Amino acid sequence: MTSRYRLDFVVGEEKNLRELLLDSDVLPLLHGALRAGAGSARLLDQDGEELWVASAPQGRGELLARLPLLLEGEPVAHLELHGEKLIEDRLHPLAALLCVALDTVLRNNLKRILTTEIHTSVVNSSHEELLRINAELSKSEARYRELAEGLELRVKERSAELRRAQARMLQQEKMAAIGQLAAGVAHEINNPLGFITSNLHTLQKYVGRFCAMLQFYREHLDLDLPRQVLIAESDQKWRELKLSHVTADVGDLMSQSLSGAERVSRIVSDLKGFSHVDESGEAPVDLNQELERTLGVLSHALAGRAEVVRELQPLPPLTCQGQLPGQIFLNLIQNALTHAGEAPRITLSSCFDGNRIRISIADNGKGVPAPLRSQIFEPFFTTLPVGSGTGMGLAVVWEAVLKLRGTIAVADAPGGGADFIITIPLRKE
Amino acid sequence: MIEYSENERRMVLKLVYYGPALSGKTTNLLQLHEQLTRQGRGELMVLDTSGDRTIYFDLLPFFLTAPSGLKIKVKVYTVPGQVCHDATRKAVLQRADGIAFVADSHPGEAQSNFASFDNLERNLVLVGLDIDSTPLVIQFNKRDLPDAVPEQEIRKVWGPTGIPVLMASAINGEGVADTFATLAGLVYDRIDARFNLLAEHGLARDSFVLQLTTLREEEP
Repeated sequence: MTSRYRLDFVVGEEKNLRELLLDSDVLPLLHGALRAGAGSARLLDQDGEELWVASAPQGRGELLARLPLLLEGEPVAHLELHGEKLIEDRLHPLAALLCVALDTVLRNNLKRILTTEIHTSVVNSSHEELLRINAELSKSEARYRELAEGLELRVKERSAELRRAQARMLQQEKMAAIGQLAAGVAHEINNPLGFITSNLHTLQKYVGRFCAMLQFYREHLDLDLPRQVLIAESDQKWRELKLSHVTADVGDLMSQSLSGAERVSRIVSDLKGFSHVDESGEAPVDLNQELERTLGVLSHALAGRAEVVRELQPLPPLTCQGQLPGQIFLNLIQNALTHAGEAPRITLSSCFDGNRIRISIADNGKGVPAPLRSQIFEPFFTTLPVGSGTGMGLAVVWEAVLKLRGTIAVADAPGGGADFIITIPLRKE
Repeated sequence: MIEYSENERRMVLKLVYYGPALSGKTTNLLQLHEQLTRQGRGELMVLDTSGDRTIYFDLLPFFLTAPSGLKIKVKVYTVPGQVCHDATRKAVLQRADGIAFVADSHPGEAQSNFASFDNLERNLVLVGLDIDSTPLVIQFNKRDLPDAVPEQEIRKVWGPTGIPVLMASAINGEGVADTFATLAGLVYDRIDARFNLLAEHGLARDSFVLQLTTLREEEP
């Protein structure tokens, strides 16, 4: 019934006397009988086997008393006292007394053992119940931990995905801006190119007439005609070819075409300067010049439509990636044009306080309401109807300003409208 | 069954008095001890009670011998009825050969009776006993109460279970021996089917029941 780790009991299981009585329970009583004069005192089981015995050295004498010992009402053993026949009268009550004493000890031990057993089995089953609950809790805890870990991983994955998507959107916004710019510039170049081509066509026609006139002279010189006739016929031809008108026109055509070509070459150089295509890495940049270049590439959108006010003060050169200022100014000026209303006025100002360059781009539109000011630089934020704006323009600006280690804020322009103020600390070399 | 040894010609059976708290399980045992003849029964052992509430269990052993010489010891136990001692109830119920369910006839105790019977069914499953084949009797105790639930009503509710239902007033000693005798008869049937008490040991049902329930004649 006993295992190494736990005790198992079945209530009601039969016990033998050896389990219920200890030597220390029985032997003192038996020795007490010897002291009272008995020759020997013994407890024998039902088969007559000696369980406990105490004997006097002088020999045990004859059997004087034999009394049964009961366990749960059942005789399980006998007490036997031996001694001299002389003391039989004394040993009989002694035997009865010993039986009562043994019975009391036996009964109390049995009660104690039964109580202990049931207590142990109650403790065991409570313990098992606790272990079971504990196992269930551990299992559910493990499940929740797994879930939580999985969740963290998924959040990480989704965040990375979002960051990639945002980077893609920013790149797309930059490409879209370039596309718009390209369309504007194409228009700007197309215009002079158109009249240069048309002038060249006209000039081609004119050259044909000049050639015809020259041919006329060569042919008539060979005929050796009288001078008067020659003059009259050549005048006639000159008039036919409308050469008076042609010679008067050629000068204009040529100078117009040249100025057109110059315009194209200026636009191309603005664009090159704006995009900094020739540069790699960082180079000193004059932000005022970058502002002018931006205005240059936007001339198609500004000319005749918006009033541009310049309040530019000389600035020290800023060492940075050349295309960043252009990205900032292009987006802000386009933004100003979008939001400036019927008669746009854009005020550009710049100054340097010894430590920081401050550039402000203000419009005369409705301005940015205070509650929105913290959101407008976030990706995808737009006040325009769905489909009209990507909400990425100011995010591109924010990113570029950050790369310049600067800050950007929006304030109310004097007289209404939004005033975007960029502050860039000048690095001490 | 606690023990069966063919060599020692010895069999130990366990009967359990189950039921709700304060329904009179210990009173049943006290009355059995009082009424039945001293011949063939042991002393009643009452394990530490607190007031009149059983915490562990009470035990009353009986002895009888079959004509074949097979000694049969029947140990009758009570369990604590209070809900909080469920683990003790389970421990006492282990390897039981028969159960007397002592219910309370007080009308306010109907719910406790059902709850305790439900608890018995559950614990029987937990200790691996089959309620349909385990000998079981129901005793409605405290018939002496003035407002006791009418017997007719009790039989209407419990009759359909097929379990024998007996009326008792344990405090007055009524119905106690009948309950025990009815349970003893059922236990005999079960044991006879397995161990051939009649065929191999010459022990008839009547004899078995009578030996266990002979009323006391002499004064102590």
